Amino acid sequence: MNIERKFSVKKVIAQLLLLIVPTAAIAFYLLKDANEYYNILQNKWLWQGLAFSAGAVISVWFFGYKFRFLTTTAVLLILLTIIYKILNRIVVGEFETIFLSLNYKIFASLFFIGWITGYGLSRSKYFTIFLSLFLLALQIILVSKIAEVKADAIIAAFAPVIVFAFYIIYTAELIRNMNDEEVNFSWFISKRLIGFGLLITLLLVSIFSLFKKDFTAIEKEWGSTSAKYDENSSRKGMMQENKDGTMQNRDQTELTGNLNRGGKRLVFVAKLDNYFDDGITPNPLYFTSCYYTKFDTAIQAFEIDTLMPYNDLFKPDPSQIPLYFKKEDNKVVENTKATLRRKVVTAEVYKTLLSPSEYIAPSTAFFCQPIPVEDAFKQQYRSAYRAKMNVSELNSAYFVYNPAGDFQLEAFQEERFNELRNITDYTGEDKKFMDYYTFMPSNDEYKRIKELALDITKDAVTPVDKIIAIRDYFLSKDEFGEPKYVYSDNPGIPGIPSASKLNYFLFENRKGYCAYYAGATLFMMRALGIPSRVAAGFLTVDRSSKNPGWYWFYEDQAHAWVQAYFPGYGWIDFDTTVPDLNARESPQPDETPPLNMTTAYFVGNGKVVSIDTIKKRMQMLVSDMLYHDKQFATKSPQTVLMDVSIASVTRDSGKAALSEVEKGMDIVAVSYAEALKKIPPDSLDTYETVLNKIPKPVPIDEVKIMEAKQQDKKENKTEAESKFDWLDLMWTILGIITAFLLFIFSLPSLIWFVLHNRAKANKPLNQKAFAIHTAVMYYLNQLGYSRENLNPQAFAAIIDKEFNTNHFGFANIYQKIKYSNQQLFNSEIETVNNFYSPFIKSVQNKIPVKKRFAAFLNIYRTIHFFSTTKTKHT
Amino acid sequence: MNNEAQLEQALQNIQKLTDNIETVIKGKRNQIQFILTALLAKGHILMEDNPGTGKTVMAKTLAQSISSSNNDGSLFKRIQFTPDLLPMDLIGSHIFDDVKKEFVFKKGPLFCNVLLADEINRASPKVQSALLECMAENQITIGETTYPLHKLFFTIATQNPVEMEGTYPLPAAQLDRFYLKIYFGYVDEATELDIYKNYLGIQNSLENIQQVLSIDDILLLQNEAANVFIHDEIVTAVRNIVHATRNNTDIVLGASTRSGITFLKCLKAFALVNGRTFVTEDDLQTITMPVLDHRLIYKNKEAKQKALASILNAEMERLSKLNIHK
Repeated sequence: MNIERKFSVKKVIAQLLLLIVPTAAIAFYLLKDANEYYNILQNKWLWQGLAFSAGAVISVWFFGYKFRFLTTTAVLLILLTIIYKILNRIVVGEFETIFLSLNYKIFASLFFIGWITGYGLSRSKYFTIFLSLFLLALQIILVSKIAEVKADAIIAAFAPVIVFAFYIIYTAELIRNMNDEEVNFSWFISKRLIGFGLLITLLLVSIFSLFKKDFTAIEKEWGSTSAKYDENSSRKGMMQENKDGTMQNRDQTELTGNLNRGGKRLVFVAKLDNYFDDGITPNPLYFTSCYYTKFDTAIQAFEIDTLMPYNDLFKPDPSQIPLYFKKEDNKVVENTKATLRRKVVTAEVYKTLLSPSEYIAPSTAFFCQPIPVEDAFKQQYRSAYRAKMNVSELNSAYFVYNPAGDFQLEAFQEERFNELRNITDYTGEDKKFMDYYTFMPSNDEYKRIKELALDITKDAVTPVDKIIAIRDYFLSKDEFGEPKYVYSDNPGIPGIPSASKLNYFLFENRKGYCAYYAGATLFMMRALGIPSRVAAGFLTVDRSSKNPGWYWFYEDQAHAWVQAYFPGYGWIDFDTTVPDLNARESPQPDETPPLNMTTAYFVGNGKVVSIDTIKKRMQMLVSDMLYHDKQFATKSPQTVLMDVSIASVTRDSGKAALSEVEKGMDIVAVSYAEALKKIPPDSLDTYETVLNKIPKPVPIDEVKIMEAKQQDKKENKTEAESKFDWLDLMWTILGIITAFLLFIFSLPSLIWFVLHNRAKANKPLNQKAFAIHTAVMYYLNQLGYSRENLNPQAFAAIIDKEFNTNHFGFANIYQKIKYSNQQLFNSEIETVNNFYSPFIKSVQNKIPVKKRFAAFLNIYRTIHFFSTTKTKHT
Repeated sequence: MNNEAQLEQALQNIQKLTDNIETVIKGKRNQIQFILTALLAKGHILMEDNPGTGKTVMAKTLAQSISSSNNDGSLFKRIQFTPDLLPMDLIGSHIFDDVKKEFVFKKGPLFCNVLLADEINRASPKVQSALLECMAENQITIGETTYPLHKLFFTIATQNPVEMEGTYPLPAAQLDRFYLKIYFGYVDEATELDIYKNYLGIQNSLENIQQVLSIDDILLLQNEAANVFIHDEIVTAVRNIVHATRNNTDIVLGASTRSGITFLKCLKAFALVNGRTFVTEDDLQTITMPVLDHRLIYKNKEAKQKALASILNAEMERLSKLNIHK
């Protein structure tokens, strides 16, 4: 008989339909995700998925003919390499080569992965577990790239992969075990798959219902802001295209859409106490949200780096700081390394659409103090904070463009340039700092930018002159008197995707928006050795003459610009974006600014002990207290009775009702009462003495509910969820996966444990014989001695020969018990009773522990043991 | 008490018979068991194999191991089947007796205890059917007279592999009469060497075969075999297997109910041959192929190799996982 089995079309088709199609689907899904986060893939997930599927399908078909893996795969690899060499030779032209070879590499490797997958699924027994783990790992990497992590995003990311993992392990084993001779095997398979589908649905439903609580908690946290305005997403859109100019269509359209659609909506209002030397002329400053400092060569883009040297970004979460309490970070000021022309400036930010947890201020902020919003403005402004920053006197939003006609501003600008001209080079700067902030890749594309930078700054000597030269270059006009560079929300899609979009912008298209200009400037400055970074945040425009120092920020003011470092002076803003000729003007601010006149005399931070909404009385456990702006802390908090009859209640999402305050909530209670003004604290006062001094109940004007902590009270778990929701979810999911894997691997041992104990238990002889028989058969099967199609005696004889046991005798007696109508002899009963333990022992003696352990991890053998060979009984 | 003594006696007799045959036929324990199974199940056996593998010797040895009470030498008959053989060559014919002035019946070789029908597929269908009628009815009817055959009438037929030229393959209906069809096969190398070394001794023992059992003993054994206990689950398994052969698409013609009954008889006999008074899974697994294989008509050659085996395996799997029902 021919040992090699023939090519089975049925089996191959089953593999294609039941294994490869789902695998390809999951590959498409993952590739689609990956394309969103990795620019290098160039958004061709459809073709990439097809390459993978082609590899898998061809491989399954091919290996259906029982070819050898190593040799054929080696041939394939050689073929792929040869094609690669040929491609490189045929194609001329710099960009095409890079474009083609990169694409070829991606497609070839996907095809190859598909090939391996196809082989693994059709021939290898353990490949499915490996594949599942591989996909999970991939998905975890992808999830870590998600900018806005939400519960549904995580579920959407993991659920398909987990379902797939279950599915592929089960189905692959099913197909391996099936008898392709059977005619009705499609029924056999579909029956099992329906069962599997039901099981997995049950599992998923239970998982999701388990998560429902956490899910809604997260939704609550995000829901209030996401419906209105999410500063994060806009910034992401802004900056993503800024990374290195190789932005994706998606981002671009997203941003363009953003600019066209929105633009008119107010994001926040700020009062900035920054004036020129005359003390009257307001000096607006750009509001910074974050810095893009580090160039990631792997993804060819700039990214936010929380580990940047001399980190001077202060990023508190105002929603987590109680009203009037302060958070400061003086390390930030130290890290600016700036000593010259610095002053501390205060700003007050009133948020409308800006997320309550977002902190935004002119650069080098170091202080944050949430403040209440006046009652009259509570509907419009949901929360507010005061910020302090150590700003440079040389910094100004007016810096870049010629403030034509305004003598004072022109003079200021000239003065500032003159002062900065003192800086001629960067010798003596920290090398690590310099290396980091002047790092730039050395590709051809960037060389071209460098050449341009050197060309346009050839007459400039000092760094500031070079920057001015770059600015002037962008503003310059060509030979026809037309501007060289134009502002455009929609700069068009470059024809050669692989060429850097920045190159395309600088040398061909010459149209772009802030991110293009900032990105291009950054590269030019770094090429010239000027330490620089991109700042993202909001452009400040002074449109109000009525309320000097007040600035309105609309959606279309989201902006990106460059900061350059000058020793001694620190980081200075430079904006090289050319003016938008078709600028759509945001509405002129004609509203009244939300003035805040009142002074808080008493501020208590703590938990609600009890509240009576009818009598308007509240008991509060005050753990921190501000009295006349002086902070009093204690180790033994006291309960304070408060009168909340006139108190206005707020939370981060806006105005609230007193009935929303519940026992156990974290709140801040504020009093502006005149009565307290007359009782100032003296230097000897402590927490206790102040509380004794003030009248009871304390008249409270303002109650602020602290959101996150309030949830914490309701459900212990929710706090962690809302704070670290995505991380925690990921751990939970990982935990479930680990538990699942542990369960899978321990299942054979668990079953053995049950069977073993049953075999050892005392019961009637019949039952005992059966239990022993089952345990022995299972044990042997798990160790790799499966009965297969041998008859019991022949199998027993083989086992006896291998392990020197009395299985043959037992098997005979077992058959007698099972099928005869006779009584057993005493000797036979003895044999049954004395068979089991010695048998197991002698098997254990023959097989080393390590091997037995490995064998008991093998779930496939267990499945094999319990699955029945199917024949058709109709 | 009497029953147990009888059983004990029966088991000893089987052992004696087996041992006796084994003095001549070496290394063929399975085949001996199958032949005894057919004998005890009151059936007949068909052996298919090439010439020279020991079929004839086997039949002869079995026949000579049995002593007859009247000792008329009609115990063992051998017929070499040829294309020109006629039915009357088997059953006998009427011959005119000059003295009595009447036709007297001259018995043919069928009137014996053990018949070796050599190369049965060489004879014409006419002859084959004449023989097979006798095997089924255990009697011969000529004209108006019916002559009963011996109480013990056991046919060992041999046939060449069907592929060989000049053969008339037996129709399925006739194959059905044979309880078992076995392949004799060559002995293994060691045994063969042993045979060559001792061929003189074997020759000698062939000539001096002891008569260990009487015909009555054999008849008793046949009764004993019919009394072997068969568990309901085994009967169910037989039903399932027979049923599955009819529904399997690789099998054109499945097994009949008569085949099922034969199957049960053979199971019982085989259990007794193995010294047991109950049927086990082993019996089922061992005997299924010889009993059923020749009764089925397969779609193609590949199916022949796999269909029945897969049916049997599934059933064995079911049985082996079955809890003990009592």
